[in-house]
Amino acid sequence: MTKLNLDIIGGPLLVLAGLALPFAGADYLMGIAFNLAMWIALTQSWSILSAMTGYVSLGHVVFCGIGSYVFILTNGTLPMPVALACAGLAAGVMALVIGLPVLRVRGPYFVILTFGLAELAKNVIVQIETSLGQFSRLIFDAPALDTLYFIMFGLAVASTAAAVLVRHSKLGRGLVAIRENEEAAEAIGVPVTRLKLIAFVVAAIIPGIVGGVLLLRTSYFEAAQAFDPVISFSIVTMAIVGGMGTVRGPILGSLAFVLLSELLWARFPQLYMIILGALLILFILFMPRGLSGLFERREARR
Amino acid sequence: MTLLKKLKSIIAAGAVLAAGVAQAEEPVRIGYSMSLTGLFAQAAPSQVNAYELWEDQVNAAGGLDVGGVKRPVEFVTYDDQSNPANAVRIYEKLITEDKVDLLAAPWSTPIHLALAPILSRHKFPMVGNTAASVQLREVAPGYIWFPTAVIPDKVGEELAAFMKSKGVTSAAILSNVLPLSQEIKSFLVPALEKQGIAVPVNENYPPDIKDLTTLLTQTNESGADAVIMLSYPSDSFLFAAQAKELGVKAPFVLSLIGATFGSYQQALGESVNNIVTVGHWSPNQAAWPKAKPFFDAYKAKYNEAPDALDSALAYMSMEILQQAVATAGLDKEKIREAVSTMTFDTINGPIKFEGVQNTMTPTSFLQIQDGSLELVWPDSVKTKDFRPKTGW
Repeated sequence: MTKLNLDIIGGPLLVLAGLALPFAGADYLMGIAFNLAMWIALTQSWSILSAMTGYVSLGHVVFCGIGSYVFILTNGTLPMPVALACAGLAAGVMALVIGLPVLRVRGPYFVILTFGLAELAKNVIVQIETSLGQFSRLIFDAPALDTLYFIMFGLAVASTAAAVLVRHSKLGRGLVAIRENEEAAEAIGVPVTRLKLIAFVVAAIIPGIVGGVLLLRTSYFEAAQAFDPVISFSIVTMAIVGGMGTVRGPILGSLAFVLLSELLWARFPQLYMIILGALLILFILFMPRGLSGLFERREARR
Repeated sequence: MTLLKKLKSIIAAGAVLAAGVAQAEEPVRIGYSMSLTGLFAQAAPSQVNAYELWEDQVNAAGGLDVGGVKRPVEFVTYDDQSNPANAVRIYEKLITEDKVDLLAAPWSTPIHLALAPILSRHKFPMVGNTAASVQLREVAPGYIWFPTAVIPDKVGEELAAFMKSKGVTSAAILSNVLPLSQEIKSFLVPALEKQGIAVPVNENYPPDIKDLTTLLTQTNESGADAVIMLSYPSDSFLFAAQAKELGVKAPFVLSLIGATFGSYQQALGESVNNIVTVGHWSPNQAAWPKAKPFFDAYKAKYNEAPDALDSALAYMSMEILQQAVATAGLDKEKIREAVSTMTFDTINGPIKFEGVQNTMTPTSFLQIQDGSLELVWPDSVKTKDFRPKTGW
């Protein structure tokens, strides 16, 4: 009950704060909020497959990368919103195509395979670009930061909503069953392959669009950067810090990560990554359920 | 670091006193972000060193001339982790939160390109430096300028003409897959064809290559009399070491990025003598009276030679800014006007922009000759004649 209360108060409050922010007129603040929304959208979408089923993906960036590539190819010929939709669609189709073989392996093999696939996709795109005689691509007349912020904010809300819906649906219960014991779930008639594939595709669409929006922010496409594996690592880090058990987790994790790095990088440019690394270790050792676990413990005590 | 900064400000303060300024002027704050960590971290020192040398020199001379008033300078810096998205945020912070007076450029083409819209939006001028791509020309002119003469289409054309004039008849091209290498190659291959130079070997390799033996053996077997290594720093070092082992015989050898680093000659010594590379600045060009003093000051401060590309470009960009501010003061629109129209006197000779590009400095080539970087092409700026490579 209390948990519900917290979400009912906290959720709309966050949304309102998010909507009001651009009117503060501070570009720098909006830049941070843009980043925060991006990480929430990415981590929340990641959690739909990985936190629910325990299939931990280290290659989530592949959908961002595909999205930004499709976006840069279509933007200009198609209006921007359509190009963004294409980016999301392409990422979804990609998930559908690679999902069937990839989701057959489990545990550490799945982790390695997703990481490898992301690197493979990166190198394929690099080769394609090279053979096309394109080495990097520029975007002109990208919309202003506040427009981009609203799009990204919408994506964060959408991906949180998707995570809530999946969690409270039959699909979500099936996914949890897979996490707990895949063989048992299959034995009692849960269509495990189909459910995993649906979750994989749902999890891919939002990062595809995020990839396109991110490109509008830097107005520059280069394959190696669009598929930067650090994005995948950061997503997993935020999920762990936030806690994988709830929808709150990715939000709390992204908040903590973005605010902390914002505080740290300006003040301790040399030590910043070391401090973040140490914090991650501490979290895994002492707070395996992350920040949201902390909340739950307090609520349980009350 | 802080001690060094303190020491610097003490020296600066001393200089101000010595100059007889009665009251201490507010420092002019200049912001930049640098790839101190991440993919490009290797390249950062060349540029940061040049900035800090410039800061020292300006402060020692009593400060930056701001439309007639001398004020000390100080840098406000952040690490962008080699990530353009971070750099965009940092420059927004520098402009809107830190409210710096001036901006200096970051490292690399992607980050320069990512910043162009931010600069236009805030109407904040910035003289770029370490960016090289034909795409620079597509950037809307206004608040960013590129002093480099390393523009891939010109490099391809000039290199082919240079090779032809030295009697090259066939060239083996080995190229990193990273953007600058590929871009140059796409212009070089047709230019070679036009000059009637055959290309028996034309191969790409990945950025993290650890062994070039197969490619170099192929090159040797082809009998090409030029080896064009379109390399980035780490593979430039690898190439020089392995070419020596395998006895590459071509008399014309070019290595793209890295050969201008002070550490390149320090690490590889005699064996890299007579290697050709891309660059448009040499300390030995007598027509540029500021070139040699810059070289000497840099060497005295850091105990190594400046990078003839990045250090020189970084220093030039500060010279341009300095001269613009001397006439325009700190008003952004006046600075923009000044940079767009003035002719600047730099360590690389006179520089003038048309749109975003420097139109004065010719695309040139350098050659390592007995420990020194000499301009060998084109004839209008050359400091020494080209020498064929005879051994490693």
